[in-house]
Amino acid sequence: MTLLIQDEYPKKLFREDGKRLDGREKLDLRPIKMEVDVIKNADGSAYIEWGNNKIFASVYGPREVHPHHLAKPDKGILRVFYRMATFSVFDRKRPAPGRREKEISMIISDCLEPVLFLELYPGTSFEVFIEVVDADGGTRCASTTVAALALADAGVPMRSLVTSCAVGKIDGELVTDLSGIEDKAGEADLPTAMTWFNDELSLLQFDGQITQSELEESLEMAQDALEQIYEMQLDALKRKYINIQEEAED
Amino acid sequence: MMDVKRIISKIEKGYIKNNLKKEQRVDGRGLWDYRDFEIKTGIITAAEGSCDISLGGTRIMIGVKYDVGTPFPDTPDEGVCTVMAELLPLASPLFERGPPDEESIELARVVDRGIRHADCVQTKKLCIQKDEAVYIIFIDMYVINHSGNMIDCGAVGSLAALLSAKIPQGKWTENGPEWTGEYISGKDIINELPLAITFGKIDDMLFLDPNLAEELVSDGRITISVTKDQITSIQKSGSTTFEIDEIKMLSKKAFEAADKLREDLNLWQYAENIEEE
Repeated sequence: MTLLIQDEYPKKLFREDGKRLDGREKLDLRPIKMEVDVIKNADGSAYIEWGNNKIFASVYGPREVHPHHLAKPDKGILRVFYRMATFSVFDRKRPAPGRREKEISMIISDCLEPVLFLELYPGTSFEVFIEVVDADGGTRCASTTVAALALADAGVPMRSLVTSCAVGKIDGELVTDLSGIEDKAGEADLPTAMTWFNDELSLLQFDGQITQSELEESLEMAQDALEQIYEMQLDALKRKYINIQEEAED
Repeated sequence: MMDVKRIISKIEKGYIKNNLKKEQRVDGRGLWDYRDFEIKTGIITAAEGSCDISLGGTRIMIGVKYDVGTPFPDTPDEGVCTVMAELLPLASPLFERGPPDEESIELARVVDRGIRHADCVQTKKLCIQKDEAVYIIFIDMYVINHSGNMIDCGAVGSLAALLSAKIPQGKWTENGPEWTGEYISGKDIINELPLAITFGKIDDMLFLDPNLAEELVSDGRITISVTKDQITSIQKSGSTTFEIDEIKMLSKKAFEAADKLREDLNLWQYAENIEEE
């Protein structure tokens, strides 16, 4: 790729007034909007705008497994396909899925599986398709969050929702919900996800450098952020039915 | 969830056909009406140009990206424009995962051919230095929901995405291409707006803008891309055949439909830094 403008990052990630480059305080989330039932063809679907991230997720299933040999006789399988559009990033991405997309698909699949009752659906598959059309840091967290909503929208029995958010370290300070610039220019990134039926972490990755006490603090920060996002998820699910009710009353 | 099946029942088939015989459509339209278009541009922050377009239930996200590369030897002073389409398995149970299949390649190629000819993409203006550096413009279409007639939807959306695009302006220096600090947009990228107009055919009945059910029942379709006064591409597809008189009639209808669409959509409003015509 030869691009005329280079993708450069600022040296400092905090402004003079102590706020982050996008005007947030350390513990602030970016603006988040969620909506369910956006793809009519799908059994369930959801859309999320999280900062500049824009992500669609749709769920099909339970349905026949293709290819057939993947089917399990004693339980259903969950398959997650996380993909990014070519135009979702600064350098046009190659259209074919790369190693990163495959790894994230697996991470999200592992994260969602504990909430599903797959043992009730032997021989079938649930497929979750996630398409990132605009990416700006934290897409795996936003994708996990929106995938859980799409599953709920599909009416798939779930033990609880799953919510995901990252915490990280920029310019030596711990902050909640890294933006794209903060993710690339910062020192550490800790994506987490929580399954609410047992209040445990279902996704946990880390790269960078932090001390043990910083890890402890980060996890506390993540929990606060996850609780806020969980409320938004519940709202998005309820809104669909509130809208239906309002339409019916009109 | 909508009921999407590969095979349409005989009863539904009969219903669609009987309606068409009465010059009516299952969704209440006339034979020569489009479903409603809904267009939003500039929604993808990472893309140079973008468009979220719906035609009825069909929805496509389109992004424009650029690259600077060496020109083809036979066109040393012309930029390159490529169109790609992905029929995401997210969009319909009819779409499967994997590398692009015939249907997505056809979608990309028909849209591409519509805008390649005519005075549409300004390939000569997309040259930074003859023989050395030209722009490569990527138009990538991602189908988000499939409800029939992706070609017309994609063609209009591609134009809107190109119109909304802002591409860094390059100049040639000893060190290769460099950014001037300015952007190129609007008429330096795209000048004419050819529209793809698709007709379905069921038995000997012809109609505009097939929806998904009609597409599944029909044996074929024909897409005619037109500018104000020129035909820029034709694609007949499916196993049906067309009489010569039908083609004559449809080409006339294509101009009529395109004129109406051009007026209704007023695509120039999506252009960066351009006053409305």
